Amino acid sequence: MTLAKPIVLAEDNPRDAELALAAMEEEHISDKVVLCHDGAEVLDYLYCRGQYKTRLQGNPAVVFLDLKMPKVNGLEVLRTIKADDKLRAIPVVMLTSSREERDLTESYTLGANAYVVKPVEFHQFLSAVKELGVFWGVINEPPPEQVWSAQ
Amino acid sequence: MESATNHQAQVPPLHGDVDKLPSGSRPAIAASAQPILRWFQAQTIEQRVLAGFSLVFVGILIISAMSYHNTSDLLRNSGLDGRSHELILLLGNIDAAMGEAEGSHRRYLVTGEQTYLDAYTRVIAQKPTFTTLLKDLTQDSPEQERRAAELDRLMERQVSVESKANAQVKERGLHSVRKMALEGAGRHELDGIHQIISEMDVYERQAVTRRVIASATGTRYTILLLAVGAVLQLVLLASVYYLIRHDVTERRRVAGELQRRGELLEAANKELEAFSYSVSHDLRAPLRHIDGYAALLRKAVDQSLNEKAARYLQTISDAAKQMGQLIDDLLVFSRMGRQEMLQATVNMDQLIQSILSDLRLDLQGRHVSWTIDSLPEVKGDPAMLRQVFMNLLTNALKFTSTKATASIEVGVESLSSGEAVLYIRDNGVGFDMQYAPKLFGVFQRLHRADEFEGTGIGLANVRRIVHRHGGRTWADAVPDKGATFYVALPRGETQL
Repeated sequence: MTLAKPIVLAEDNPRDAELALAAMEEEHISDKVVLCHDGAEVLDYLYCRGQYKTRLQGNPAVVFLDLKMPKVNGLEVLRTIKADDKLRAIPVVMLTSSREERDLTESYTLGANAYVVKPVEFHQFLSAVKELGVFWGVINEPPPEQVWSAQ
Repeated sequence: MESATNHQAQVPPLHGDVDKLPSGSRPAIAASAQPILRWFQAQTIEQRVLAGFSLVFVGILIISAMSYHNTSDLLRNSGLDGRSHELILLLGNIDAAMGEAEGSHRRYLVTGEQTYLDAYTRVIAQKPTFTTLLKDLTQDSPEQERRAAELDRLMERQVSVESKANAQVKERGLHSVRKMALEGAGRHELDGIHQIISEMDVYERQAVTRRVIASATGTRYTILLLAVGAVLQLVLLASVYYLIRHDVTERRRVAGELQRRGELLEAANKELEAFSYSVSHDLRAPLRHIDGYAALLRKAVDQSLNEKAARYLQTISDAAKQMGQLIDDLLVFSRMGRQEMLQATVNMDQLIQSILSDLRLDLQGRHVSWTIDSLPEVKGDPAMLRQVFMNLLTNALKFTSTKATASIEVGVESLSSGEAVLYIRDNGVGFDMQYAPKLFGVFQRLHRADEFEGTGIGLANVRRIVHRHGGRTWADAVPDKGATFYVALPRGETQL
């Protein structure tokens, strides 16, 4: 299975991150996952700055966003992505514990492409993350690559 | 005093200081006022206000009536005074006229001059007018009336004596009346007339004086009454002002209190929301980790895992899942209380059918005999009502699972324009009615977890939703025979 573009996983909780990566591992897509520990890191990645200054240009296949994160939370990252012409096309999937109505409403209003509540049960969580990874990373056709002007 | 003391013995004293007085020195007025005071204090504030106002109102009414009475007395007296003065004047006139008549007549008898006779005739011609006026002006007093009649009689006699003398002059000449001329023909009558007129005059003047004194007293009395009335009206106005002010102040205070409580409630609600948000977000993550790592551990040590260890791992996973379920149920329950409610007409037949089709999978391998009546339409939130009947039907299925053939009945207990009472009856394990009050509580279970699964939130949700619709819910059961759950829903618009 080849994967052209990376998957950005924003997850501040290392255990959740490990479990998610374990799930991706089973589908052999974990090597394409870029793990960010907070919202600011996600934005750094997307704008190729900070520790990602030297990364290969181009948008990821999908961004998985947790809602509650330190520094910049998921909704703020989502707002930034959907407000930027160059980033707007990136599919964004909210992957969160919250089933609160206002989170759902706000996420979709801001332009989230999907909203997934992390199941408590590991097997369900596993299959959810697997399916998400495969669907957005492999099955779904990402938007055509935009050529960024190099900094 | 005696009765007041007895009264005192039966009813606790109202004022400590009054009670401290020795009973002999207690003022009589205070003692007789005490039962009234006690009655007054036993009334509600509205009754007291009403009683006070009635008292003042009656006082003002009485004062007005008395003032009116006094004033009309004054008016009548002043009318009478006018007539008295007229009478006094008339009496003077009569006195003078009769005197003049007698004089003219005597001169005529002495001289035989026709001019004196003419003068006499002119004066005498006024006599009928005098009589009429006298009658009219004395009709108010019987005493004066009697005197007036006497006066009239004397005047009549004087005239008749004088007429006889005139006739004698014509028949026998002047010399025949010489003696009479010297004495005066009506001299005797004239004296009587003078006498009676002076009596009448004195009487009338006395009456006037009496009336003047009475009027002065009446006027003073009226002024006093009007003053008291004015004071009462001032008291009334002042109390109305006080009550309105008190009322307005009270209203303002209550409104302020309401607003304060509303703010507190809003703050509490916000806090609750933050709490449940935090529960939903933060409590679930560790559970996911417990279950996740237990699964990863099992995978990692798969080969060397003995049966006991495998069971321990399974228990860890099950416990985590169960707690996850509890949290989810609790969040649903909390959401049910806060969620906006829709208002729609809900077709209960369709609702039950759609629930049954959702329950298809749970029905596999079960023998269930369904009896479903035709159900009415009700007003409410379709999703919430669906949750109610979903919970009740799931319960019915769950608690009949020990029976070879489950028998579940959905029907209408009663139907009126205001309310529809629906029921769901099963032939399951039922419950002991002594635990019925616990039935609809949060996390209350009447069966052991190893008998029937569940978190104990379903019926709590049922009750919460039904209450939010303005309805009621209750249950009836016999252990091992079955249970019946009733849901009463209003059919009109719910005011929520």
